[in-house]
Amino acid sequence: MKIRVDREACIGAGQCALVAGSIFDQDDEGLVVLLDENPSDDFVAFARKAATLCPAKAIALDE
Amino acid sequence: MDEIKNEAKCPMHEVRRIPNDGTPLCPSPTFAIWREEGAATPLDYSDGHEGLIINRYELAKLVLEDKRFSQSPARMPAHHGEELSAQYGLSSGSELDLGNVLGLDGEQHARIRRTILNRFSVRSARGYESDIKAIVAKQLEHLRSQPTPVDLTKHYAQPISAAGHIRVLGIPEQFRDEYSKLFVGDSTTDKKIEFIRRVLDVKKNLLAEDVLSDLLRTDLIVPEIEGLSLSLFVSGRDSVAYMIATCMTALLNNPDQLKALRDDPTLIMGGMEEFMRVGAMFLTLFPRTATEDLELAGVHINAGQSVSVSPVAANHDPAQFPDPDRFDLSRDAFGHVGFGHGIHGCVGQQVARVEIREAVMQLINGIPDIYLVHAEQNEPGPFAHPVATYEAGEVIVGWN
Repeated sequence: MKIRVDREACIGAGQCALVAGSIFDQDDEGLVVLLDENPSDDFVAFARKAATLCPAKAIALDE
Repeated sequence: MDEIKNEAKCPMHEVRRIPNDGTPLCPSPTFAIWREEGAATPLDYSDGHEGLIINRYELAKLVLEDKRFSQSPARMPAHHGEELSAQYGLSSGSELDLGNVLGLDGEQHARIRRTILNRFSVRSARGYESDIKAIVAKQLEHLRSQPTPVDLTKHYAQPISAAGHIRVLGIPEQFRDEYSKLFVGDSTTDKKIEFIRRVLDVKKNLLAEDVLSDLLRTDLIVPEIEGLSLSLFVSGRDSVAYMIATCMTALLNNPDQLKALRDDPTLIMGGMEEFMRVGAMFLTLFPRTATEDLELAGVHINAGQSVSVSPVAANHDPAQFPDPDRFDLSRDAFGHVGFGHGIHGCVGQQVARVEIREAVMQLINGIPDIYLVHAEQNEPGPFAHPVATYEAGEVIVGWN
């Protein structure tokens, strides 16, 4: 799985960093930063959850 | 309380008002009936408009994520109970509306909202943790010094909420008491604006690392700064207090859940989401109006038609949350719309999570034999304005 994030769309709600903090963070503008674009199998479910929760649909998963 | 009745304005179109026979922890049965009937059902608006209320979770999320809806025009869902206030949301009716994030669309909204995101990120919220813990600890000491029975809302929830806002926004110390008074209960928008102008005037010489300092450093124009400040001073101020009062009521109503949380404090991380799901404050969010004809989840919405998403209804949709009326801190309640959702979702939600979590955990651990005497949260009450929201009523508790 490969993760892509769209910083233009991001609204800084922080849902991704809340549920998958090892994959997503927020920078000094409060916008999404991708820490790990290829998370291990153990973390895939959390990446998926972050994508579902994102209010701006700024996270895409290529599976 | 008014009898719940449906008022048909047009023979083809049954129009309804938001029911007021629910409580913050037990929604009106009308929502379940409407949800059974459809993802959206007709709703009467205070200006005579015939719009919709969104009852099902799936459509609620689709609407809140869809940029083809506007925050304008400013109109309100009609509800049973008190007459509506003419004031819409955080609108001041002046140029300050340029900074009212809840009333803006598109680029202007994004530009304004982006100026404050950094102070509300997950990382920033973690940075406030030690200060928030200290605020809560101090308030807990105050609470324990009170004769019992005592009102938790007045002596614990509201002061914590005010102190949290003062800390995160960076409201100078000398305004502490005035802020706490002016933004709870009866006050006018004019008085609030006048207060904000005085605060900003002092703050510009006391710049630090906080929201107001950031705002004063931006290139926003003065009405935008004042308008956004008004949004920030008001928003979440009542809601955090409401949530602390409501969470504690939920726990004291459900001793098994209270015991589970004391036995396993890690339950609070996911449990926080369950609190937000079952205790959602907003019966409806601010209405959105379609800018073109839309078809969403099989529901047709006409251009110009207003729709109101009901977090209370969506959070109890059994299609998303099985056995929705069961309060269960161990369930996966992520995805609830208790903070709203989409580009207008609560900007302060990560900070709110920390404040509510700390307030609940310190209280249940600090007063092990706390018990509920009486909670207005368990009774239907008047809605707070401007949209139909529940209020933080009295939560009278005792201990031995």
